[in-house]
Amino acid sequence: MLQQVIAGLQSGSTYAMLALAVVLILKATDVPNFATADMGLFPVFVIWQLIERGLSYWLAVPLGIVFGVVLGLVIERLVIRPILSESHFASVLMTIGVSVVLGSALQLIWGSEPRRLDAPISGNFKIGDVFITYDQVLIIGLGLAFMFGLRYFFTTPWGIRMQAVAEDRVTPRLLGVRVGRVFSVSWGLAAAISTVALLLHTQASVLTDAAAGPLILKAFVAATMGGFGSVTGAFLGGLALGVIENLSGFYINTGSRAAVAMIFVVIILMAKPDGLFSKARPREV
Amino acid sequence: MARESLGLRRTALSVVVPVLALLAVVLPDLVNPYRLFLATLIVIFAVAGTGLVVIMGWTGQIALAHVSFLGIGVYVTNWLFSDVGVPWPIALVLAAFLASFIGILIGFPAARLRGFYLAIATLAFAELISRLFVEVDVVTGGIAGKSIETVRLFGMSSARSHWYMSLIVAVLVFAGVHRLGGTAFGRCLRTVRDAEVATGSLGISSTNYKLFAFALSAFIAAIAGGLFGQLLSYASPDNFHTALLIQFLVVVFVGGVTRLSGTVVGAIFVIVSRELLQDVGDWQRWVFGISLVLAVRFLPGGLTSIGGRLRSRRSSSGEAITSFGEGVPA
Repeated sequence: MLQQVIAGLQSGSTYAMLALAVVLILKATDVPNFATADMGLFPVFVIWQLIERGLSYWLAVPLGIVFGVVLGLVIERLVIRPILSESHFASVLMTIGVSVVLGSALQLIWGSEPRRLDAPISGNFKIGDVFITYDQVLIIGLGLAFMFGLRYFFTTPWGIRMQAVAEDRVTPRLLGVRVGRVFSVSWGLAAAISTVALLLHTQASVLTDAAAGPLILKAFVAATMGGFGSVTGAFLGGLALGVIENLSGFYINTGSRAAVAMIFVVIILMAKPDGLFSKARPREV
Repeated sequence: MARESLGLRRTALSVVVPVLALLAVVLPDLVNPYRLFLATLIVIFAVAGTGLVVIMGWTGQIALAHVSFLGIGVYVTNWLFSDVGVPWPIALVLAAFLASFIGILIGFPAARLRGFYLAIATLAFAELISRLFVEVDVVTGGIAGKSIETVRLFGMSSARSHWYMSLIVAVLVFAGVHRLGGTAFGRCLRTVRDAEVATGSLGISSTNYKLFAFALSAFIAAIAGGLFGQLLSYASPDNFHTALLIQFLVVVFVGGVTRLSGTVVGAIFVIVSRELLQDVGDWQRWVFGISLVLAVRFLPGGLTSIGGRLRSRRSSSGEAITSFGEGVPA
């Protein structure tokens, strides 16, 4: 049981990190980014390629993250900013399009065979009857660090500007906020988070072109559970989702794993569309 | 001036329509069976696209579960026909009613959700249905899939019968949806899209209209599915996944999501690209992704809006569905 919970927290941390990336972009630019997971997977393949060329892990990873950030900035500037004045309809379709382009480009370059990306530290230790791998400690710890980092970030001047811009794009500009730069920062930061999330996820399992597909919906489910406005909520939502999934996979059957998350999100959206931790929010009419 | 051009248009239509109709009837004698198969596929994709026009183009809902309804059409029609023994046309209609019932089920939460929340809910729902396709193996054959029993019209070859069946269904669906679009009902759907906040005070129940749009779009998708199954001849749950959803999004958004003619243009675009890129499989997905990105970025009204744009030179006219949605401008 406890072993399953820990395994659940591990996959939950991936969902949680991706959910943070989703919430960050949503808070700053009001774009629901369905390309989040693919934006992370592409740089991970670059990291794999660099290591394959003989670079050390510790050099390849920062380079890969830089690549991810640049990718995020380019996507934002090229295809997202021009359609920002339009509704979610346009941005949902656009980010779905971007994810298809990234996913298929990845397949064209690297093909579909599974690869291994070895973590630099491996092994495990034992507390009581429970085995814990260093991988699990790292992924859960980094997830927590990202969450607290983002919470802090949203109280800094940059973070406050970001939320102001998401609320209203005109007034902050009149007050001297450089809106374009706020967008860039949010997309760059989210891309870095996604890259780390996908890196940790793929080195704990396998690296394939199919890794991003199932993750993106989970990330959105996690963010939905937490309510899209809240960093803490999104993070806890991700962890909860991972644990629930793992327990249902263990106690019911493996087929129920995928279904459980989806049933959850449909119920939450019906009963409490603003997330489990939300307060009532008036809507402008 | 306006009336003159309308008259001209009518004369043009009265020439073009019979010619097209004649061409459609004799097409099986003009082209080889493979080309006929592709033409049938175009017709079926266009029919499925009409369902998306109703829900996305007219009602303005981001509904991404279309492929699931298509799959329900494929499986249930075939099950009723070959296992239960119901005549094929009745099986098709029954499957479509089942799909629209499920469409209403997903429509209930959807009527309360706006914008991208609906996208998530419908994606999650599609995921659930595809799990169901694996689990209910009596109907679907499970993960291994199931072969689809072929239907023949009056002893014709299967390619020929599929073409005529699809043609008949397409004419009925297009005529029905076109007619609906012009009625008060169709205008109400568009009001739900453009000014949802106003609907309440006008005595229009936006919830009911959304539910109806969901039901109708699922119905059409299942009808298209019944025909699609005939072409597939073997269906497995993998057929009804994201790859197909992307193709349908390209059908409606490259063609123009608010117009019925858009689905025909879009269906031709998708099937021809699929055919041209057949040998370089992986490029297909890339091309569809790029097409979707470019269409949303540069051509929110789709290819069929180009003519109108050139004529009026008002590039940002109200046709583009993507500029509507939330009611409150961002």
